[in-house]
Amino acid sequence: MHLRTRHVLNRAFTGLGYVATSIMAGALLVLLVPIFVRGAGAIVFRGTVEFRRYLFEQEGRGDREAVHNEIAHARAARAPVYAMLAEAEKEIATAPLTRQRELRSALAELRDAIRELLGPDPGQRTPVLLRQQYGQTRWDRALVKLHEVLYTETWDYSDPSGMGRKVYVPRAEAFTGLGVTALFPYVETHLSAMLRPRLTLYWGFLTDDSRDAHFFGGIMPELLGTFYLTVGAMLIAIPLGVLTAIYLAEYAGDNMAVRFLRSCMSTLAGVPSIVFGLFGLAFFINTLHVSHSKSVLAGSLTLALLVLPTVIRASEEAIRAVPHTYREAALSLGASTWRTVCTVVLPAALPGILTGIVISMGRAAGETAPIIFTAAVSVGVPLKLWEVFNHPTPALSWNIYNVSTEHEAVDEIRHVQFGMVCVLVGLVLLLNLTAIMLRARIARKLKG
Amino acid sequence: MDEAGAQGIADKGAREVTTRGCCPPSGLLLSAGARRRQRFFHFLGQGFLFGVASVSAIAVFFIFIFIVRDALPFCTWARLRDFFTSTRWYPSGSPPEFGALAIMYGSMMVTVGAVVVAVPLGIAAAVCLSDVLPFSLRQVVKPVIEILAAIPSVAYGFFALVVFAPLLQDHGGRVLAILVWLFGVPVGALAVLVASDMLSRRLTSGGERRGQGLIAAALATVVVIALVWLSRRAATIQIDSGTNALNVSLILGIMALPTIVSVSEDALQAAGSELREGSYALGATRAETILNVVIPAASGGISAAIILGFMRAIGETMVVWMASGNAAQLPRPLYNYLMPVRTLTATIAGDMGEADHVTGSERYHVLFVMALVLLLISFACNSFSEWIIWRRRKRLGV
Repeated sequence: MHLRTRHVLNRAFTGLGYVATSIMAGALLVLLVPIFVRGAGAIVFRGTVEFRRYLFEQEGRGDREAVHNEIAHARAARAPVYAMLAEAEKEIATAPLTRQRELRSALAELRDAIRELLGPDPGQRTPVLLRQQYGQTRWDRALVKLHEVLYTETWDYSDPSGMGRKVYVPRAEAFTGLGVTALFPYVETHLSAMLRPRLTLYWGFLTDDSRDAHFFGGIMPELLGTFYLTVGAMLIAIPLGVLTAIYLAEYAGDNMAVRFLRSCMSTLAGVPSIVFGLFGLAFFINTLHVSHSKSVLAGSLTLALLVLPTVIRASEEAIRAVPHTYREAALSLGASTWRTVCTVVLPAALPGILTGIVISMGRAAGETAPIIFTAAVSVGVPLKLWEVFNHPTPALSWNIYNVSTEHEAVDEIRHVQFGMVCVLVGLVLLLNLTAIMLRARIARKLKG
Repeated sequence: MDEAGAQGIADKGAREVTTRGCCPPSGLLLSAGARRRQRFFHFLGQGFLFGVASVSAIAVFFIFIFIVRDALPFCTWARLRDFFTSTRWYPSGSPPEFGALAIMYGSMMVTVGAVVVAVPLGIAAAVCLSDVLPFSLRQVVKPVIEILAAIPSVAYGFFALVVFAPLLQDHGGRVLAILVWLFGVPVGALAVLVASDMLSRRLTSGGERRGQGLIAAALATVVVIALVWLSRRAATIQIDSGTNALNVSLILGIMALPTIVSVSEDALQAAGSELREGSYALGATRAETILNVVIPAASGGISAAIILGFMRAIGETMVVWMASGNAAQLPRPLYNYLMPVRTLTATIAGDMGEADHVTGSERYHVLFVMALVLLLISFACNSFSEWIIWRRRKRLGV
């Protein structure tokens, strides 16, 4: 091959390495940016008057005067809408009989769409479901609902070879010739007067209970559940893991039994997480009966087994990294092996062990599959501390799955889904950054 | 208070030593009783530690025992034959049918897809980390890999379902066309370069520059035409459902990357600098050194890395459950990555809620058979990768 070609190939090879590395970094960005940007929307968003009414009526927050004032203003702006609807009712009664039925159903649909946007009609009995008691609480959702008020969605099958195409027909077309057509431009232009959007900072997303299947409220039960599960798992895994690491690093020789133990640990590390879930169900719940059915305790036990190999490996590495001179100094002063370990080796290895523990915590907090059958439920209230032994709990990871796939109105609560993912990822990232910083400190210390 | 207690015990020990000894040299020795006691406690402590250490071994055994125990009631020959050969998965039909072939095929498909995405990228990134990047940049890239590994799988699944799937569904053709260009241009350019070099050698005995230039231009035209044709073809593809095997494969590939990168980087580093220097001394470029010397030397570790990446992909639950479409059918044609598939893990997760797990129905037990299949695959992979590492260590004589 030409020397020149070889050089070009060499450059290309280097370039390939850079490309692969930047694809990784790019993937991280592509993943994190939408999650954090849209996740922030759960806390900072343009809230409407309906949101403040909800906060005031359900949570008792907000200034009574101000909220009432605002509601009055919004009512005034909405009054013409309802007047036009009532007018339309009368007009339809005088319309030709052939058209009446069609018009009536179109009007009923319009009323429904408006109810979705603005909340129940004045004078209507309070609906049972919380989500029907209020209009759109968020301005971005209100704009979507406004589109639904203005347009109807139909499918165009005119092209027989392709699939049906979605087309939007202005709702006004159904009412041509009636006075109610004036309603559409009015709603479009006066929407902000009717809903009065204002930039809102809603920290309650983190501290409130969820209401009406996450249509309103926050994610406190999930946060608390994740906290219980993670802390429980670490309480079990840390003593087991660190003691095992001490044994492996300080006591164990290189014999068959120890080699067998090590290969068991790597097998345990390779078991798929969903299998841990099934095992937790079959063993902790159906055999040991640690609780009647799903519980935080059973979930924590399962998660503890899952993170155990990570804790062991990290702790063992940290203990092995302690210089031999430390041990020799302690032993030469007459300390026993155990005393050496407890007073000299462990304190020196502590930052390294902590790093491993913090990373394992992140893993335990994010795992979903092991807790599906052992601990997680989709709806629940925050647990008291003594309830963890026999109560299941909602948890962030499981509820992300639940609200984004099995929820009855997945599209309506995107902000909650993104908010949950954002909180979980943020939590895990925080833990990992702590670990990275800890490690940097160790490196600096070792350097001198 | 703990410390004070420990201090007290130590003091007592010291006193014992000094009072029992009769002459100065033996004052440093323990009496027979004390020594026996010490040895007893030492033995006891070590036994206790061994007991704690064997918890993970016991856990592995219990996992095997309990998965097998709950899988056994399903295991009759006829049912197992159906399980492995039929594609009809109707667990709630009457009579129920448990043919898991399509599901296992789906698992294999997304796993292979993930490996195909992750292995070239991962090895290239590992080479870059170990041989190309300067130390300071390496310190930046390493945390990126760690964070990529730390992001919970449910977040990846959510991304695949909510962000990536709609993108594929609405602009699938365009995305594929862009991918064709992104990968086609560099690969095509390299292929043209190498081929023109080889051909000019073959045709014009001396390998003149002009000849090579002409051949390269001709080949480049062919490649560009091929790429244009391919991207046109790709742009017309209509993806019916964004939740399909391609989506999941890409995301699983990204998830398997950190494992592959870190394990194969370790292997590359372990190959040592003597090998590299020897190769450089013979006049090889860096690319040639790495491809012909370092990677063969580190092949054991790299294959272990690939196996670990494979395990990560096949055992992953949330991403495939959320974004694979969960259709228990063989894709048509079999290599069609744009069809929804269903995997073993997703079936376990999804069906367990409906399976009546108190009385232990057939449906409950078949899920344990699936778990057993997964467990055996991961056990085999793990043993294989351990064997590779063990063999390498033995050969190196460490």
